[in-house]
Amino acid sequence: MIKLLNVSKRYDDIIALKDVTLQFNEGELIVLHGVSGSGKSSILSLIAAISKPTNGEVVVDGDTISMLPDHFASVYRRDNIGFIFQRYNLIPSLNVSENIIIPLIPLNLTQDEMMQKLEYVMKTFNIEHKRDVMVKKLSGGEQQRVAIARANVNNPKIILADEPTANLDKKLSLEFIEVIKELKSQNRTIVIATHDPLFFDLECVDRFVKLENGIVVS
Amino acid sequence: MKRFNFYLLEYAVSYIFRYKSKNLFVFTILTSLIFILGSVFFLAESIKNELHFSVDGVGDIIVQNTKAGMHTTLDDTVVEKILDMQGVSNVESRVWGYYNFSQNNIHFLLLGVDEFEVHNNPLIDKVLENVELNDSSMIVSSGIKKLLEKSYYDKYFNFILEDGSTVQVQIIALLNEIIDFEANDMIIMKKELAQKIFGFENTMVSDLIIKVGNPKEIPMVAYKIQEKFPNTQVLTKEDIVASYEHVFNYKSGIFLTLFIVGFLTFFMIVYDKASGLSSEEKKEIGILKALGWRIDDILQAKLYEGFLLSMGAYLLGIGIALAYVYLLGAPFLRELFIAPNALTQDFRFSFTLDYETLFLLFLLSVPIYIAATIVPSWRVATQDADEVMR
Repeated sequence: MIKLLNVSKRYDDIIALKDVTLQFNEGELIVLHGVSGSGKSSILSLIAAISKPTNGEVVVDGDTISMLPDHFASVYRRDNIGFIFQRYNLIPSLNVSENIIIPLIPLNLTQDEMMQKLEYVMKTFNIEHKRDVMVKKLSGGEQQRVAIARANVNNPKIILADEPTANLDKKLSLEFIEVIKELKSQNRTIVIATHDPLFFDLECVDRFVKLENGIVVS
Repeated sequence: MKRFNFYLLEYAVSYIFRYKSKNLFVFTILTSLIFILGSVFFLAESIKNELHFSVDGVGDIIVQNTKAGMHTTLDDTVVEKILDMQGVSNVESRVWGYYNFSQNNIHFLLLGVDEFEVHNNPLIDKVLENVELNDSSMIVSSGIKKLLEKSYYDKYFNFILEDGSTVQVQIIALLNEIIDFEANDMIIMKKELAQKIFGFENTMVSDLIIKVGNPKEIPMVAYKIQEKFPNTQVLTKEDIVASYEHVFNYKSGIFLTLFIVGFLTFFMIVYDKASGLSSEEKKEIGILKALGWRIDDILQAKLYEGFLLSMGAYLLGIGIALAYVYLLGAPFLRELFIAPNALTQDFRFSFTLDYETLFLLFLLSVPIYIAATIVPSWRVATQDADEVMR
C-alpha cells in the first residue's frame, strides 16, 4: 500500500505539490491526470524515492520511504520500483540487452540468473530480436518496449509510468495499454501519470486522480 | 565472503569505450606525461648509479699528466716517489684509453692490467681470477664480442698500431656478468699490450690511482703531489664527484624546471577533461541512481574506470620510458643531460629499476587521476536522481 500524507514539494520557487494526501492499494491501476505542471510526475518521483518531499511523508508498505537515507532509498527502488520514464531515459550508447540489465548489475547475480531474467523480459515485451541493437537506432515504440522491459527485469511490485504514450502513435499506445493490462493481471500496483485520453475509457483502471496546480481536485 | 562484482568492472570498461574520444585524449596525455617524467627519472637514476660506479673505481686521488693544458701520458717512475709520501698506502698505475673501431665508429675502452698489482676496482681482480692473459690475448664484454662477430672477428681482432701495422689479439674469455653489465664497451688485456696498441713507451701510463690510508689526509696528500709535480693534474674523489654533479645537475635543473611548468599545464588539461562531466554523463549517473544503483555502486564503477585508464597509461608510459632510455639510449634527453666533454663522452646508461621512482610516478598519476574522476561523479551521485535527470 502506498500513502502520501500531507505531501508538499517545492523546486526552488515552483510549488509542484501542495498538501497532497493520497492512498493507493496493492494491485490497483491508478491514472494521475492533469495538464503539464500539475504535479503528476512529482508524485511518481516521490513514490520512487528519487526525490524527497519538502513537507509530509510517503509511506510504502508501512515504511516511511521519504525519510530513507540515500543508500537505502536506492535499495528500496531496486527491490520495489519499476519506472518507465517519459523520455524512456535509456542510455543511448548501450544496446538493448545492456540497457535492460542495468538494474541487475549491483545485485551481482550469477551469469545464469542474469541471463534468465533478461531473456524472460525480452521475450515478454517482444524485444529479443533487437537485443544487440544500439537503442539510439530503435523506433519510439521499440525504445518504449526496452524501457518497459528494464522496468520489469527486477520483477518489481510497483510500476510507475510517466507520460508513457506521449511519444507514440495510437497503435503503439494501444499496444502499451495491453502490456499494462498484463502487468495488472500479475497484481502489480501501477501508477500512470498521463494526459492521454486513451486511458480515460479503460475499464481496467481502478481510479483516476486529477491534479491541478499541485492539488488533488478529484 | 562477498563475491567480486565483475558486472561493475564490465560496465566500467564499456564506459571507457563509449566515451572513447575523451578517454583516448586523457590516456594519451597521461601516458605522455608518465613517459617524459619516467624517462627523466630513469636517466637521472642511471647517471647517479654510473657516477657512483665510476667513482668507486678511482681510488682516493687520480694523478694525470698535462702538457700545454692537455692530458698526456705519465712516466711511472713517479710511482715510487709518491709511494714514499706520508699517508699514501697504495699507488696503481693505469694504462687505459679509447680505441676507435672505425668500421662502426665505436670506441672500445681498453684497460691494461698487471696481474700482480692490487686493483682499486675489485671487479677487475674477480675477472682475472680464472683467466690467464698473455701478450696476445684479451677479455671482451659480450657487447663487443657481438659487434666483432658481425665483422667476422669471432676469435680474434687485429688492432691497428700507430705505424700502420697490425697486432692480432685473441679473444680468450668474456667479462663476467657483473662487470659486463656495468661496462659493456670494455676490453681487458695485459698492460704491455695496451701500451703497444696506444703507442706508449714501456714506462708510460695513462694515470695513477692513489689510495690514502686516512680519508682526512686526502686533501693534504693531493696538495703535496701537486706541489711536487707541478705539471700534473691532481683530482680527488670529491673533485670528480663535484665535476660530474656540476655537469648533470645544472642540465637536469633547467630541464626539471621546464618540465614542472609543462607538467602542471598538462595536468590541468587532464584534470579538466577528467573532472568535467558532460550533461550526458551526468544524466547517465542520474539514470543509474533512479534504477536502484547506490552511490557506492556508482563510485565503484568510477573507481574501476579511473584505475583501468590511469594504470594502463602508467604501465604503458613506464614501458615506453624504459625502452626509450635503456634500449634507444634516450636520444635528445641524453644531449640535455650529458655535456659533451672528456669525462662523459662515452657515458652509458646502466639499467636500474628504482622502486621508489616507480612508486613516485604511480602516486603522481594513478591516485590523482582516480580522485579527479571520482570526486565529480560523487558530487553528482549525491544529488537527487530526479534533479540530475532533469
